[in-house]
Amino acid sequence: MISKLSRRSFLELGGLAGLGLAAAGCSSAPTSGRATWSMWSSSAEEMKVWEDFGTYVEQQLGVRSVATLTPSSGYSTKLDLQLVGGTASLVTALNGTLIPTYAARGAHRPLDDLIAADPDFELDDFYETSQRISTFNGKTYAIGFDVAPTVMYYNKDLLKKQGVPLPSRTEPMSWAAFRELTKQLTEPGEQYGFTCAPAIGDLVSWIYCAGGNVMSADGGRSILGEPRAMEALEFVIDLFVKDKVTPPIKNLVTENSLSNFLQGNVAFLQNGPWQVVNARKAKFDWDVIPFPAGAAGSTPRVSGTGFAIPSGVREGAELDLAWKLLKTLTSTGALDIYAKAGRNNPARRSAGSAFQPPPANLGIVRNILAGKLAGGHAYDVTTNWNQVEQLLGQDLPRAFLGQVGIREVIDGLTPRLDVLMRQHRDTVSQATARKR
Amino acid sequence: MAVDTPPATSTYLQLTPAPTRRRRSREALTAWLFLLPSLIGFLVFTAGPVVAAGVISLLDWNLFSSPTWVGLRNFARLGPDPTFWSALGNTAYFTLVSVPLTILVSLALALLLNQGLRRIAVFRSLLLLPYATITVAVAFVWIWLYIPHDGLVNAVLGWFGISGPAWLVSDSWAMPALIIMSVWKSFGFGMVVILAGLQAIPQQLYEAGRVDGASPWHSFRHITLPMLSPALFFVVVTSVIGSFQVFDQALIMTNGGPGTRTTTLVMYIYQTGFKNYDQGYAAAQSLALFAFIVLITAGQFLFQRKLVHYDK
Repeated sequence: MISKLSRRSFLELGGLAGLGLAAAGCSSAPTSGRATWSMWSSSAEEMKVWEDFGTYVEQQLGVRSVATLTPSSGYSTKLDLQLVGGTASLVTALNGTLIPTYAARGAHRPLDDLIAADPDFELDDFYETSQRISTFNGKTYAIGFDVAPTVMYYNKDLLKKQGVPLPSRTEPMSWAAFRELTKQLTEPGEQYGFTCAPAIGDLVSWIYCAGGNVMSADGGRSILGEPRAMEALEFVIDLFVKDKVTPPIKNLVTENSLSNFLQGNVAFLQNGPWQVVNARKAKFDWDVIPFPAGAAGSTPRVSGTGFAIPSGVREGAELDLAWKLLKTLTSTGALDIYAKAGRNNPARRSAGSAFQPPPANLGIVRNILAGKLAGGHAYDVTTNWNQVEQLLGQDLPRAFLGQVGIREVIDGLTPRLDVLMRQHRDTVSQATARKR
Repeated sequence: MAVDTPPATSTYLQLTPAPTRRRRSREALTAWLFLLPSLIGFLVFTAGPVVAAGVISLLDWNLFSSPTWVGLRNFARLGPDPTFWSALGNTAYFTLVSVPLTILVSLALALLLNQGLRRIAVFRSLLLLPYATITVAVAFVWIWLYIPHDGLVNAVLGWFGISGPAWLVSDSWAMPALIIMSVWKSFGFGMVVILAGLQAIPQQLYEAGRVDGASPWHSFRHITLPMLSPALFFVVVTSVIGSFQVFDQALIMTNGGPGTRTTTLVMYIYQTGFKNYDQGYAAAQSLALFAFIVLITAGQFLFQRKLVHYDK
């Protein structure tokens, strides 16, 4: 039945609707008794894993799990706004490269007091590199859920077709041997020896293997221009520009080394085991081997991610629930779900066996983390890593394109990088002063 | 009731009694109620953020630590910041090339559509499609078109014996590639406005011109352009403002590269605020951009007195 509304009724209804909307807006704030957590999620497969996490949380804690899932590209910005607006979840996922950034800004709380007060929590079950990635200025700010070294993927079919013996599953090859192999496997325009992203995230593994780093040990200045780092930079740039063993770069935004590899005409791909889940879609036989060894051995970057508690979660029942939730999300049971779905190598030793082949040699990931095979180097970052990455991201690709020499790029970038490094050191000093 | 019902005579205005104060108040209240949603929207989403940006520009604030008052120091940082000036230069380059090109294409297509074509609505809709499509989708399509070896753009150039560049990774061609895409994306808006302007020109003017022996060029030069000048002025002003705010296509297609060749001012503001967590400096940059746009728009309005013809 349709009835006419009087103006008074209309205004009353409008007012009620406004109040309702306001109440709905306020309801996004964390509520005690609801296990709220934030995570990035960019695919249906990822969504399924986080749904299973939610079910697991509800089973373990007996409270409703409320996950805020955001595509990975917008996750950081959304988290910032939620943290500032006081609407962040009790527990938030953080990429390892951003943990120092959030910790230094006081956006997340140290967990050491909670760990110390909880005899059930076994920090030792987490790989040392995961613990290192989660630490800033001597304090633990996150508990890892995955951790993994960069490995080298290779197309077994392509190597067999070319009559090239398959590389060792345990012994890393030398850079010189790798370079020769990639040249041998390259047929310009048809087939290529190697692919990686033209960015610091991939270059850094070569730099670590050469014994270099992006910043000095105290984090106060850039050492990309020093001989060991330059050796690595020149080696990789030469693969692109001089040897031309890499597929041509078509554009710098959507260029994807994995998609190059999946086309089946690239022999080697540098990437983390987090890409195993996507590489399994390949229509050829492939496997993983240790990263090629430079002067410092095979010590590629080890990356990881973790869960942290925002500093707005202060005390009482809310903090108690946050800690229980964080423990549940990083428990062996939850990480088994994560690893069985093939997402990545879990951060706990006790969950490692759930991340299983294919590929046949996937076990090297755990062996590298356990120090039984080759090695790894925790991804060293600054408290302003976004800015460092952005600065490097502007000019490094031009060297990959052959538009400018790598020495010229590094010489041009070093003064600006030094400014950022000094800012980083000041931030660390301020954080240390606050701690005292 | 009798008061509100107009009589069927032309003396309605004379016969209607003057509104009472009570009625005027009711009308005013009704008007305010209707205006209120827009007013709230303007205050919350436009005026509020502008004022907030003004305050934030005087602070050093990383979003989480307590902000500290730094006065005009953020504005003083603009001068020695090479990336800011480079981004401003890129934005100016984009504007100076893309706006005239867009106007020319829009004008040409509007003139074509105004030739009494059959099914003009169909053509108008088709030509408006790029403008109606979201920039993200268009940008991804153009990334494909610009692929150096297999892309359609270089394939077409190849038919004429031209070896096309690696558009989006080239130092010298990345910005022209963005401009071409932006012209394609935005000419539809200008075309519709200009077409409306063309259709509003009285045909008697052309007839009088023909009687006086004016050639088609003379008609265009002395009738069409002057009569169209208000529409053209509107398109120029809105296009310049839009071009100074270019962001999404550059972010998606080149991410500001190679180097900083396509880093625009809005992209730099976004990086400063949300990647570098330097809210104060980002706000200062935003206000600088606002000032540039105001100055340029004011300049255009001053200039229009000489060039824009309003038929009174």
